[in-house]
Amino acid sequence: SFVLETNIGLIPRTETQSRGGNGTSPEQNGQPPAAPAPRVVEREEEEDEEELTLKYGAKHVIMLFVPVTLCMVVVVATIKSVSFYTQNDGQRLIYTPFPEDTDTVGQRALNSILNATIMITVIIVMTLVLVMLYKYRCYKVIQGWLFLSSLLLLFFFSYIYLKEVFKTYNLAMDYVTLAIIIWNFGVVGMMCIHWKGPLRLQQAYLIMISALMALVFIKYLPEWTAWLILAVISVYDLLAVLCPKGPLRILVETAQERNEPIFPALIYSSTMVWLVNMADTDRPNRNSTEAASPQQEPQEVASPVPSSPSQDDGGFNQSWVSQQEHRLGPLQSTEETRREIQQMPSARPPVEEDDEERGVKLGLGDFIFYSMLVGKASATASGDWNTTLACFVAILIGLCLTLLLLAIFKKALPALPISIFFGLVFYFATDNLVRPFMDKLALHQFYI
Amino acid sequence: MNLERLPNEEKLSLCRKYYLVTLAFCQIFLFISPGGFAFLPFLWLVNVVWFFREAFLKPAYTEQLQIKAYVKRSALGLLLWVAVLTTWITIYQHFRAEWGEVGDYLSFTIPLGIP
Repeated sequence: SFVLETNIGLIPRTETQSRGGNGTSPEQNGQPPAAPAPRVVEREEEEDEEELTLKYGAKHVIMLFVPVTLCMVVVVATIKSVSFYTQNDGQRLIYTPFPEDTDTVGQRALNSILNATIMITVIIVMTLVLVMLYKYRCYKVIQGWLFLSSLLLLFFFSYIYLKEVFKTYNLAMDYVTLAIIIWNFGVVGMMCIHWKGPLRLQQAYLIMISALMALVFIKYLPEWTAWLILAVISVYDLLAVLCPKGPLRILVETAQERNEPIFPALIYSSTMVWLVNMADTDRPNRNSTEAASPQQEPQEVASPVPSSPSQDDGGFNQSWVSQQEHRLGPLQSTEETRREIQQMPSARPPVEEDDEERGVKLGLGDFIFYSMLVGKASATASGDWNTTLACFVAILIGLCLTLLLLAIFKKALPALPISIFFGLVFYFATDNLVRPFMDKLALHQFYI
Repeated sequence: MNLERLPNEEKLSLCRKYYLVTLAFCQIFLFISPGGFAFLPFLWLVNVVWFFREAFLKPAYTEQLQIKAYVKRSALGLLLWVAVLTTWITIYQHFRAEWGEVGDYLSFTIPLGIP
């Protein structure tokens, strides 16, 4: 089984790019301006920059809302209509071996805690493996993993998905047409994600594979385990990205030392989706002061991090976000294999000169976990749509806040904790408090 | 990726690659299916849609002629495929029940109930 791990984080965007020339704000360099006069100018620039940052931040928040919402909508729609994903077939992942249909509540709690622990341990181990691989420059291995896991997602999981959808709607389908559909879907998907393709299609594919992954999670993780895992992974994310000894931090720093983009990961970008490939030395240098740069975007090389910091205004060199991919290995059942990919969201600004091209990037891991939370809420909540909507709103609020923090701190940030925390709080609160309240009111025909 | 940002030669090359990749698959499938169809109508569709504006709605530039050619060829291939698929699907859906065993053998999902 191949496993890679990913963490979630956001990277700040800097406004220095748009200012051309000498826009480095003192706060980023950590160096005070040399003379008093420039100080005043710089302060003004600082303020302008902050405004610009916040303004762009707002625009990009909206730009991220759409894909996150779409992903969640797809997941919830599937959960509601295709019963396959909510059925308990008794299959479990090898990572969650303890069943939850036990006799006592205590036993169940214990089992779910054990499951979550195992899962998190796997994730941590994988993260470390990934960091090791990166440190020792085994780029090909990582690339190969990425390739294989997206292959699996695009072909196998979509096959299962289609099968279930057809079953649900009671349609006949023959193998020939099915083969053609899956083949086309998969190949075009691989091309769009790993090579070049129209932006919208790339974004659509990323949303689809995130949704597929989230659905797999929802199906194969028992209830309490799922909630626990969500909570624990947010905490882990927080620690791994922000603590000095965190593996992600190390990854980021290594990447910065080597001045290369962090390795192949799937990142959703609102302007351009880039598959970051490893250490492509012939990546074109981006000069931020160049207005029109028709040079070919390093599409497959994606990293928006410029290769030479000296040319840029030093904006992107700031803490990068490390990404990991997370994949779990095969299931217990031999029929299906499962893998997950989470990637780090690095909300970093793309290396574009003109403002319209700027986008925000969010890693696929975030998409997956957000959708998983909302999907689980719609699947298992007694409050049904109330709860689902509440979780949805909570996650979006969390995302807003995270992006705001990003704009303020300009550091790599984990995208999971705030949203997941809000989501969980809203879920349990709505399910247990609001819903009975509304029911009672409706029962007594009392409208407020 | 944004087409605007690419220089013309790149656009041409991309369009051509999209068209050719599907034909390349044709080579592979020559072993499997005599006649060697390229099995990727979707890719051709993407090619057509993506490069349509470039090929037809923009003021002319040197490579545009070739891009036009590729887009047209992709569109042709696409139409052919659509025709073939539609025919097959109609035949299959209509005659599935009557074919008995063969119908079941071909079926991936079999609907419940009386057809």
